[in-house]
Amino acid sequence: MTALAAPSRPPRPSPLARALLSDWFVLWLSVLLFVGLLPVLPTLGTPANLANLLSNAWPLLVVALGQTFVMTIGGIDLSQGAVIGLTSTLGAALAATAADPDVLSKAPIWGVLIGEQGGILAGQVAAAILATLIAAALVGLVNGALVAWLDMPPFMVTLVSLITVGAFAIWLTQSENIRNLPDAYIRLGQGEIVSIYIGPKDEPQIPRRQVHDLVTWAAVIAVSAAVLLHLLLERTAFGRQVVAVGANRRAAEIAGVPVRRVIVLVFVLSALCAALGAVLYSARLEAGRPTLGEGTFLLDVIGATVIGGTSLFGGKGKVLWTVFGVLFFVLLGNTLNLMNLSTFHIDMVKGGVILLAALLDVGRTRLQRRLG
Amino acid sequence: MTTRTTLLSAAGALGLLVGLGTGAQAATICFAFQDLETEFWVAGHKAITTTLTEAGNTVIERNANEDANRQLEQINDCIAQGVDGIILIPQDGESAVTIVQTAQDADVPIAVFNRPPSDLSRGIIVVADNEEIARQAVDFVAQEAMAAIPDRPIQPLILVGDLGDPNAVGRRDGFYAALAPYGDRFATPIEVATEWDAATALANLEAAITANPNVDLIFTSSDFLFPTIRSVLEPRGMWAPRGEAGHVLMAGLDGDATACQLIKDGYVDATGVQDLYFEAESAMNAILAAIEAGDTQPNQVIEDPGFALTSANLAEREMDMWGCVLLSEGFLNQ
Repeated sequence: MTALAAPSRPPRPSPLARALLSDWFVLWLSVLLFVGLLPVLPTLGTPANLANLLSNAWPLLVVALGQTFVMTIGGIDLSQGAVIGLTSTLGAALAATAADPDVLSKAPIWGVLIGEQGGILAGQVAAAILATLIAAALVGLVNGALVAWLDMPPFMVTLVSLITVGAFAIWLTQSENIRNLPDAYIRLGQGEIVSIYIGPKDEPQIPRRQVHDLVTWAAVIAVSAAVLLHLLLERTAFGRQVVAVGANRRAAEIAGVPVRRVIVLVFVLSALCAALGAVLYSARLEAGRPTLGEGTFLLDVIGATVIGGTSLFGGKGKVLWTVFGVLFFVLLGNTLNLMNLSTFHIDMVKGGVILLAALLDVGRTRLQRRLG
Repeated sequence: MTTRTTLLSAAGALGLLVGLGTGAQAATICFAFQDLETEFWVAGHKAITTTLTEAGNTVIERNANEDANRQLEQINDCIAQGVDGIILIPQDGESAVTIVQTAQDADVPIAVFNRPPSDLSRGIIVVADNEEIARQAVDFVAQEAMAAIPDRPIQPLILVGDLGDPNAVGRRDGFYAALAPYGDRFATPIEVATEWDAATALANLEAAITANPNVDLIFTSSDFLFPTIRSVLEPRGMWAPRGEAGHVLMAGLDGDATACQLIKDGYVDATGVQDLYFEAESAMNAILAAIEAGDTQPNQVIEDPGFALTSANLAEREMDMWGCVLLSEGFLNQ
């Protein structure tokens, strides 16, 4: 009689390992950061600052949601910033209610998309946004097709898009901004639905400074997008296919996953999120800007997504993680601002935190493998 | 002249003026700027921060690194921090409108330094009369050109700034206003877009000069582009001082140290001068006065009339130009 060895059980994870692997890890980190700094930076907890934090988070979240899907298939989308510039310009040009010929008459879009009386869809906000979404989808389609059918690296494809689409956006208006957005458009980025005032009601007129936006249209749009994309990623066959492609493209193909279609759709989704983010940013700034999304913006998007826990190697990504990542990233930027650090120091710290998050991703992946 | 020089070179003295002028108690001022990429902004930044600090005020500095959205977020952070007032150098005229409105809606007085919002009706706006200053500078070189080239149309070229910035629009308008009285003595000007970016200016000017090597007169909407112009003209033998063959008549606007040196050396003929220290002092005095008076939404346009420093009036007016003052202090050798 031969004694059979009992199957070896994976080692029981320590509390630290459990915390590291928890979906809520970054949220706890954010809470720690907030509570830890509150005694030193009391402004951090004021209603005005909390309202700022949220208003800074919504547009970034919308863009980062798209990046989450791309990273989950093991890719990266560097073109999001350029798509934001393009769609911000297009949307504003179409919806603007007037335009200054002194500024725009030499732009190629003058007389085609916009004139002195405004855009060809002047005041029609929904139609203008739909048009920008179509334009963004086309960019995503090209990105996705090149990656899926020509097996080109996403980094290279989207880098080229970043350059060409960005230059195209600037060419469209010759670098000019487009003002005179309709009020309905501006409300998407600035309009509040619920505002709060905390304090005694002993004055007939409450100063505007003490009234804080709690629920805004930007919040509704961002939360709706997050819920929809969460359901898409977690509850649908498409979502499982996205994870499968990121985990092992070859295995996914063998298992019958339409890999190329998934890749194309993911890049289209990413561009659509960028376009939606562009609407919020443009409305917030009350102008369409071809240079919107330039500079260190992509650092914020990728940083927030990676910090959330979405793996740079693909196969792991959750909308909830990105929500927490955006929250942490915005909170980090806010605290550094309140410490009165210079922009350069803030960007250096942000870069360091992204590096830490990437290292953490490597550590978590190894830990998961070890724990089976 | 001596008094003025001392005033210009010593920001501390300016601070004393501010303190005396307003009798203000210490305030916390948020100074938000888009970047410090030219001599003008560097000198303006130094004048404002040094003066405010030496007058006992606290200055919270915010550099948006040329990102309009980031600047808006920084202003919101400043408001949340409870600052008493804001001095803003915006990214452009459009974002300035939004930011001024944001500050005023939060009952925080705001002054916009030098780069005005597209809408001048709100906020304290300190701005140079760009059109008139540009007109004076261009008129000088236009007359020089007509005297030097009597027998054919003169070919002018303008380096245009970012037309989203009202300063750039005013300077371009001043250029055209200066040439308009002379009718067909001047050919249709060649416009070179710069977007206030030296690399963009270099690429576009290279192309323009290659296509039109017979340019007689160049006006740059900002002095910071003179080194760029030099790098394009010098290899073509078009960078020569006054009186030598190949000299292209040249004018600029700002009044920085480089322009001062180039006028002295004869390569540049005129530049429109913004009185940087007057503008800085006006912005600070106005914001401190508003804080002192409890006026949370002050609206005022303060205009800097400026003037043109030319090769003809250099000897008399040199030390009225902030760039020449900096030059005399060894700014370009630092």
